[in-house]
Amino acid sequence: MTKKATRSTLLSSFLAVVRYELLWNIRKKKLYGVITIAFVLVTLTLFLRVILSNIENQPLSANPNFAADTGTGLGTFGFFLFALVVVMNSISGEFESGTIVPLLTKPVSRTTVFLGKIFAAFVTLLAAYTVLLVYLALGSSVIYGPQNNLHLLPIVLFGSIASTFVWMSIILAVGALSKSSMVAALVGIGLWLGLAIVGAVVGAVLGQTWVLAYFPGSGAAGYAPNINSTPLPINVTIPAGLQVSTGTDGIATNLVTYILHPSAEVNFYKMEFMIGSRGGPTYTFLNTETLSSIITRESITIAAYILVFSFIAWLALKRAQVAE
Amino acid sequence: MNSAIETVNLTKRYGRLTAVNKLNLNVSANTIHGFLGPNGAGKTTTIKVLVGLLRPDEGVARIFGQEVSGDKPDVRLRIGYMPELPKFPKHLKGWELLDIYGRMYSMSQQQRRDQLPKLLELVGLKGRENDLIGKYSKGMQQRLGIAQALLNEPELVILDEPSLGLDPVGMVEVRELITNIAKEGMTVFLSSHLLFEVQQVCSHVTIINKGVALVSDTIGNVEHKIRGPTTLQIEVTNLTNVLVENLKKLPFVTDVKTEDNKLNITLETREDVRPQVSETITKSGGTIVSMNLIGQSLEDVFVQLIGKAEEEGGRKP
Repeated sequence: MTKKATRSTLLSSFLAVVRYELLWNIRKKKLYGVITIAFVLVTLTLFLRVILSNIENQPLSANPNFAADTGTGLGTFGFFLFALVVVMNSISGEFESGTIVPLLTKPVSRTTVFLGKIFAAFVTLLAAYTVLLVYLALGSSVIYGPQNNLHLLPIVLFGSIASTFVWMSIILAVGALSKSSMVAALVGIGLWLGLAIVGAVVGAVLGQTWVLAYFPGSGAAGYAPNINSTPLPINVTIPAGLQVSTGTDGIATNLVTYILHPSAEVNFYKMEFMIGSRGGPTYTFLNTETLSSIITRESITIAAYILVFSFIAWLALKRAQVAE
Repeated sequence: MNSAIETVNLTKRYGRLTAVNKLNLNVSANTIHGFLGPNGAGKTTTIKVLVGLLRPDEGVARIFGQEVSGDKPDVRLRIGYMPELPKFPKHLKGWELLDIYGRMYSMSQQQRRDQLPKLLELVGLKGRENDLIGKYSKGMQQRLGIAQALLNEPELVILDEPSLGLDPVGMVEVRELITNIAKEGMTVFLSSHLLFEVQQVCSHVTIINKGVALVSDTIGNVEHKIRGPTTLQIEVTNLTNVLVENLKKLPFVTDVKTEDNKLNITLETREDVRPQVSETITKSGGTIVSMNLIGQSLEDVFVQLIGKAEEEGGRKP
């Protein structure tokens, strides 16, 4: 006789999907490519001041806050690349390859499948970023001397994951709607590039910094004048103070800055290039905003992007029909 | 008898194409039910509605009395489904895939350890379970598809073209496997375009074309109901009018035609009446040189049914 059907428990189903997805993630060659790029980016971040000091014949000064101030060292490009590689075919790839058929006919709800995939992406990022942060902390200690505030690195870790999840949810939603990894990748790349280029023009040149706060990416750059930062050992004219990014990619470093300087304020400037003049651009003061209000707005924007686009991706999977 | 599968006026359209048209299907529990039809008849679409991959536009589909429309994991818990030409993640190993699917069925570690080797042995994948699926041949993926459909020892096994891509030996093995799993008490719903496959393993059959069920009954009844008249071709010596008249008087004979010394006798019975015909010829002074019984095979019937349906524009005969 056949075995009597036993109720499939939610937890075992969820963990099975996580396992299914994690095994996929860790066997993606693309992921190892991105991790290699990430190590290169972090290494460049670590050695940039060393290289510039050598060029400028200036001594390299110790910096006990280098690791805490640097974030993951990936920057907006790194976050976007990780997001792209981890989820660009997470749902759409299943439709393209036909593996969605056996998956969705198992006694697992589509919501569980979706949540399992999201959680697996989170675990993948957690592992990758932890390794990168440990590398950055060790490298900082070796190059810039003993480091302070290393206990803040977990905040950097989760802040960076949140920033990456903004891009992830957008790419996931496009992939789930189009059922095409290629479309998901192209839309993602187009959006990232477009925002990077347009954002630079709108924020720095046109001075409309507030607009950028509501788009994914690095946002507008402001400067916290009361926070000392170690300037790059090169001759460039930039406003004094620590640089702060208002976009969704800046939350990790902003949180660390806020914990160390709760009353910090950030000045924004319009950048002007004088045609024919020598030297760098000139900066015209626009406005001041507290770091706490920047972080609040960033957090709400990040949450809104993640929730809205994840909901779209979930709904697309939930309603999807598999005809082919 | 309880219904394992029941559809009432099930309709599914792709744009302007009606793939399944008011299909009424009833599959009794503990039977092997063939779902027979040419390519594009609507078999896979019907199955995809049954397993929750497609939503019907009209009508209802039920599995063991539960409606299947929407995301119903509890219904799927009772089904083992093997898709047509199944595709599995290439980055997983055969064992890993079955193990993960087993976890999705909430099978314990011990259950998985017991069940997986048995299934791998059953489908002939023993020794290859630690290879990546990406290295499997089509036939091996087909076998893996059967294994994952039987993982939870489900009450209902839905197999969509299970022989596709298999070599002749594999096809025979699959047929034996289907017969064996039915003996275990599972209901098997077998979709196929191969008539001989359905004829060999199924107790019941539904023939479908252009989304419409043409006939649904036991294999025996279908053959009996729809087979055309049988003809006896006999070569005799001393063929006379008296002999022909005597043959026409037989109650099961509807027509007798002659050509030289050959007789073509049309019969309206399914019984073997050759002894009575032989006796009548002999008593009428004739001598039989040869005798051939020409009947329609189920294949002829299938072709005839499909052809008839096409002529009638897909209307039920």
